[in-house]
Amino acid sequence: MASNKDTADKPRFLDPKLHLVVLGIVVISELIRQRRFTIGPGVVLLLPMLYALVLGVLTTPRFLKITNEEQVKTSSPLITISVMLLVAKLGTVVGPSLKQIASAGLPLVLQEFGMLFCPLLAMPVAVALGLGREAVGATYSICREGAIAITGQVYGLDSPEGRGTLGTYIFGTLFGAIYMGLFAGLIASLGWFHPWAVGMACGVGSASMMSASAGAVAAALPEASADVLAFAAASNLLTNVDSVWSDLFLALPLANFTYRFWCKVFGKKAYPPSTPK
Amino acid sequence: MVRGKDIAAILAIVCGVSLIGNWIAVNIDPIKALPGMLILGLISLLGWWLSAILPWKLPSIVYISLIGILFTTPWTPGSEWILSHTNNANFLALCTPILAYAGISIAKDLDQFAKMSWKIAIVAMFVLSGTFIGSCIIAHVMLKITGKI
Repeated sequence: MASNKDTADKPRFLDPKLHLVVLGIVVISELIRQRRFTIGPGVVLLLPMLYALVLGVLTTPRFLKITNEEQVKTSSPLITISVMLLVAKLGTVVGPSLKQIASAGLPLVLQEFGMLFCPLLAMPVAVALGLGREAVGATYSICREGAIAITGQVYGLDSPEGRGTLGTYIFGTLFGAIYMGLFAGLIASLGWFHPWAVGMACGVGSASMMSASAGAVAAALPEASADVLAFAAASNLLTNVDSVWSDLFLALPLANFTYRFWCKVFGKKAYPPSTPK
Repeated sequence: MVRGKDIAAILAIVCGVSLIGNWIAVNIDPIKALPGMLILGLISLLGWWLSAILPWKLPSIVYISLIGILFTTPWTPGSEWILSHTNNANFLALCTPILAYAGISIAKDLDQFAKMSWKIAIVAMFVLSGTFIGSCIIAHVMLKITGKI
């Protein structure tokens, strides 16, 4: 088979079988649809993309052997490219809301820098627990879809950094709403911060985290509930606008710095950054 | 390295897969969602091309995000037309194929994932709490400084 020889050193990006398998996974995942479970005070949300991740794993040579080793390798750059469509879509979500954001005021804009507390607060924990470069991927951001795109392009998703980002992403997708609901409700009831400030903080993650945390805060502070929900929504909108930029240019360099710092403090070996394949 | 022709072909395939996922997820048939998906594909391609020809080395998503925003601001002529089409392509439906490729790709790292297991859950909780507290502190201080509270 001459054609195989020609493509031996070049991944077969257009391999029809690989894309058909992905199509099959997508169809099955979307047919299962979103599911929510109520556990105590919070909601566990299952999204089609999570089923797709699990089904993707199941097709590989280790399990059902529907995909082969070469297709596994080819998938990695395909993530980076398919993520482009998602980022384009994110851009078109942000564009129309620029006017509202411009009028939102300084506190709302500046509280977005709260996300820099992630690499500051979570990095020592990650390094102490023995994570390597996974720590950088896991802590530089709250790890929503934009962060998957950034990690994928800067390090590759099949790198330690990629595993870290996917780890936080999966935890956030599964338990983010329930955890943020509990945590935000607790912080609101402590009364340390003005309800408006807590409302803005509710917007830092995904839409489902925002709904859960703002709902919990509104329940804890009924007299301020309308303001809380409005500030949470505005802050969530703003997070969509700035996260690709602030994650890439501020949080990621900060995470790399704090990683090296805490490795030194704990006497662990600091590994160099991965490069995408 | 992946060439432009490959990128275009892969984007076309992923657009096709997303159209079918979109159809099931939000019940918008592929013909109706096609123009919106094509626009997203073209924005992606344009952004990739810019990242390839411009001298400074930035990931293509920086340009793609910027073009997506510039095309759809309230001040951009024709932005309503673009939005009327891109609104037919659901955000979550676009995520599903990406995670399918990711699943296939990361299966070989399952042992390393298993090694992180409970540790990543703890780290993730600190990440979520850290962002939340950070935003609370900054927002509270700024509201005080600007005299709003």
